[in-house]
Amino acid sequence: MSDVVVETRELTKSYGSFVALERLNISVQRGHILGFIGPNGAGKTTTIKILVGLSRPTSGSASVAGVDCVADARKVKRLVGYMPDVFGSYDNMRVREYLDFFGAAYKIPRKERVKRIEVVMEVTGSGYMRDRFVDSLSHGMKQRVGIARTLLHDPPVLILDEPANGLDPTARVEMRQILLRLAQSGKTLIVTSHILPELSRICDTVAIITKGQLRAFGPLEQIMRGIRQRRSIEIQLLMGKDMAKCESLAKKAFDAADEITHAEEESTLRVRTAASDEALSAFLSQLVGQGVKVTQFREVHQDLEDAFLEVTKHDEGGSGDRMSSAAVVR
Amino acid sequence: MWFSSLTLVIAGKSIAISNWEELMNPIIQRELIGLLRTRRAFAAQVVLTAVLAVLVVLRWPESGRANISGEQAQAVLRLFGYGLLASLVLLAPIFPASAVVREKQQRTLELLLNSPLTPWSIFVGKLVASVGFVILLMCLSVPAAAACYAMGGVGVPQLMHVYAILLLVAIEYSVVALYVSTVSQSAEGALRYTYGAVLFLTIIPLIPQWFVQGQVSPVLAEMVGTFSCLSPAPAMMELLGHKSVGAQGVMGPSSEMFRYVVWALLVIAVFVPLTVMKLNYRLFDRSHAAGKITDDRSMGVKFYRRIMYLWFFDPQRRSKLIGPLTNPVMVKDFRSQKFGRPHWMMRFFGICLVVSLGLMLATTVFTIAWNVEILGGIIVILQMSVVVLLSPALAAGAISSERESGGWTLLKMTPLSAFTIVTGKLMSAARTLVLLLLATLPAYVVLVLIDETQVARLLDVLITVVLTSIMGVMISAAISSLFQRTTGATATCYTVLVGLCGGTLLFWLGRGSPFSRAAVEAVLRFNPLATALSLIRTPGFDDYQLVPFNWYLMGGLIALAAVVLWIQTWRLTRPQ
Repeated sequence: MSDVVVETRELTKSYGSFVALERLNISVQRGHILGFIGPNGAGKTTTIKILVGLSRPTSGSASVAGVDCVADARKVKRLVGYMPDVFGSYDNMRVREYLDFFGAAYKIPRKERVKRIEVVMEVTGSGYMRDRFVDSLSHGMKQRVGIARTLLHDPPVLILDEPANGLDPTARVEMRQILLRLAQSGKTLIVTSHILPELSRICDTVAIITKGQLRAFGPLEQIMRGIRQRRSIEIQLLMGKDMAKCESLAKKAFDAADEITHAEEESTLRVRTAASDEALSAFLSQLVGQGVKVTQFREVHQDLEDAFLEVTKHDEGGSGDRMSSAAVVR
Repeated sequence: MWFSSLTLVIAGKSIAISNWEELMNPIIQRELIGLLRTRRAFAAQVVLTAVLAVLVVLRWPESGRANISGEQAQAVLRLFGYGLLASLVLLAPIFPASAVVREKQQRTLELLLNSPLTPWSIFVGKLVASVGFVILLMCLSVPAAAACYAMGGVGVPQLMHVYAILLLVAIEYSVVALYVSTVSQSAEGALRYTYGAVLFLTIIPLIPQWFVQGQVSPVLAEMVGTFSCLSPAPAMMELLGHKSVGAQGVMGPSSEMFRYVVWALLVIAVFVPLTVMKLNYRLFDRSHAAGKITDDRSMGVKFYRRIMYLWFFDPQRRSKLIGPLTNPVMVKDFRSQKFGRPHWMMRFFGICLVVSLGLMLATTVFTIAWNVEILGGIIVILQMSVVVLLSPALAAGAISSERESGGWTLLKMTPLSAFTIVTGKLMSAARTLVLLLLATLPAYVVLVLIDETQVARLLDVLITVVLTSIMGVMISAAISSLFQRTTGATATCYTVLVGLCGGTLLFWLGRGSPFSRAAVEAVLRFNPLATALSLIRTPGFDDYQLVPFNWYLMGGLIALAAVVLWIQTWRLTRPQ
C-alpha cells in the first residue's frame, strides 16, 4: 500500500482568465510535514481550499488518504483537520464549550467527546484554559485551541495555515514542539508559513510556489543541496578603495552567469557562484597577489529563506523559469 | 469673526474652540467623504429621492390646475413632510450608530485619541459628518418641496419650519446614536440599541396620550401630552395642519412644535457632554473577563451564586456537553450570544412577566375606565415592540456574523449540512422570542376571563403576533445571508421591520386628510401591528378590515425569506 497520504495531480484553478494555480503536482507521505511556501497571492490558500473541499479545481485532481477531494468533499472533511489563518472565535464561549461544539458538529458521541477534548487539550497544552472565554485568549493561546479543534475528530491529515504567524518566540518554540509531536504520532501535516527559518526546523518536505506554479518541491535536504550548487561567497576588504579592483578581478575569475554584488559602505563583495573550491582558492590568491587587502573570505551559510529567494527571484522579471531540475523532485 | 474664539462649558469643564479650523477638523472631511463613497449612502440618496418623487406624483392634481385654497398643496406637503420625517427617523441613526464603535474595533480610535485632536473635535467631526449627510438628503428633497410651493397655498416660512424640525430630528438622533456608539462594544450592538432608542423617542411617547386622552385628569393629560412631544411626530403634525397624534376628538397640548424643540435641545444637551466625557482612554482601559467558574469556588460563593441565579441559570456554572439529539449550532448560538445565555433569558422573561402581570392588575382595576380593547392594544404594542426589536437582534447576524468572524469556514469544514446550520440558527432565535412572548400571555388570560366572547378575537391576535415573530426572524435571517457584515444586515433588518410596522402608520396618522379611508386601509394591510390592533378593536383601528390579507402577505414573505435563506446558505456552503 502506498504511503502517500496527500496528492495533487495537474491541479489547476482559474478565475476567469486569471490562473491562480497551474498544474500543481505534489505528494506528501504519512507522518511527514510539508512546508508550503510562497509569497502572498502565490496560490497556497487556493491549494489548501481545494484539499479541504472548500473549493473546486478547474482541472486536475486532489486526494487525501485516497479520497477524492472533489467527488467526495464530505468524506474529506472527516479526514482533514483544517486551521485557517483566521481563528473564528465566538463571543462568550469558554474553550471547553468551543471544543464541545465542534466535537458535536463532527458527531462525536458524548462519552467519547469528553475523552477527546481532554486528549486534544493535553496534546496542545491548552488544558489550563478550559474555562476561559475564547475571545479573552492571547493569540498564542488561540492558536493552541485552534490546533486542538483540528485534532478533535482525530484526522490523519492536518492542514495549518500560518500557525506561527504573530506568535512571540516562546510561543513559536512551543508551537514547533506541538507540530513535531503530532508528526511523530503519525499525522501528516501541511503547514504554510512566512517564517521560513521556523519552517525549516520542522518540515521534511518543501513545496515552493509562486504565481500559481510550483517552483521547487522535494525533501528539504535535496532542495538545500540544489541551492548549495551555487554558494554565496563574501569577501570583506580592509579598504573600500580596493573595491573596484576586486570587482574587476572577480568578473574575470567567475562565469558571466554568476552574480557579483557589492556593498560599498561595508567594503564587502558578494559572489553567488557554482565555482569549485579550487577556483575559489585561485581567486583568493589572485586578490592577495594583486595587493588587495582581504580581511575575510568566507562562504555564507544558506537557509530556507535563501532557497526561497533563489527560487522565486526569476518571478520579478516574470520569466517564470523553474529551478534547476536537481532541486525538483518528482 | 464672532466665532473665532468660542468657549463651551460641558459638564463643568471649559472647552475652548480656539478657531474655526478646530471645528473644521479632518474627521469631518474624512467621515463625510468616506460616507458618500459607500454603497449604503448612494442607495439612501437614490431611494429617498425616488420615494419623495413618487409621493409628490401620487398627490399631484390630475387636472394640472392648482386649487386656489391651497388644499391640494397642503395635502402634498403633508405627505412630503411625513415621508421625509419617516425616512430621516430610519436613516439618520444608521451612520452615527457605527461611527465610533467601528473606530474602536479597527483600533483607529486609539490613534485619534493619541493625536492632537480633542475628544470634542472628534465628536464634532463625527456629528457634523453624520448630520452633513442628512442635510444632503434633505437637499435632495428640495425639488419635491418646491413642487408643493409651486402649487400655491404653501408658504416659504412653513417649508422652512418643516426643514428646521427635520434638521433638529437629525441632530438629536445623531447625538443619541453617537453616544450609543461610544459606549457599545460591537457595531451591530450599537445599531440595536440605537434603534431601541429611536423607537423610544419616536413611538413610545405617543402611546400614553393615545390611550389616556380624554379619560384622565387635566393635569395628567397635560403631563402625558408634554411627554408625547418628546416624539417629533406631534410637532410635524402641528406644522402640517394636523392636531395631536391619535387624538380621539380631544385637543392635545398647545404648541407641540415648541415643546418638541425644548425636548430635543434637552436630549442634545444631555447626550453631547455624556459622549464627549466618554471619548477618552478609559474606553480601552478595561480587561476582558477571563471567566471564573462557580463549580471551582468555595461553598459560600457557590451557594450565593446559585441563589442569585436561581440555581439553574448561573452563567458561571460549568455547562454540560451538547446532547446527541440537540442541534449543535443552536446550542452554540445560545452560548455565544450575550443575551442567549439562560440567565439573560430569565431576566427578559421576568421583565415581560412583570409587565404582563401589571397589565393584568390594570385590567382588573381600570376595566371601567380602560376598556378591554385599550388594554389589549397595550399588550399588542408590547409584544410587537419585543418582536421588532429582538428579531433583528437575534437573527440579523445569523449568517453574516459567522462570515465576518471566519466561523463560517470552520462550519463548512464540519459535516453539518446547510439545513442543520440554518435550522440551528432559526431555532436559537425562535426559542428566545417564543419564551418572551409566552411571558406576555397571562394578560391575555385575564382579558379572556373578563370577557369570554373575546376568545376568538384574541386567538386571531395571537396568530398575527406569532406570524409576525416568524416573519421577523425569517426576514432577518434571509437578509443576514445576503450581507458580509452584520452591521449592514442589522441596519437593513431594522429599516425593513420598523418601516413595515412603524413607517406605514404614518399613513394612518394622516387618515381623513390627505389620505382617504380606503388608502389608509390599503397601506395598513401591510402592517402586522395595525392588523393586531384592528383585530383587538383598539380605538382608531377598529374599523379597518386587514385580515386575512395581512396573514397571506406575511405567509408569502415568510416563504420568500425561507427560499432566499435556503438558496443563499446552500450557495455559501458549497465549494467555490
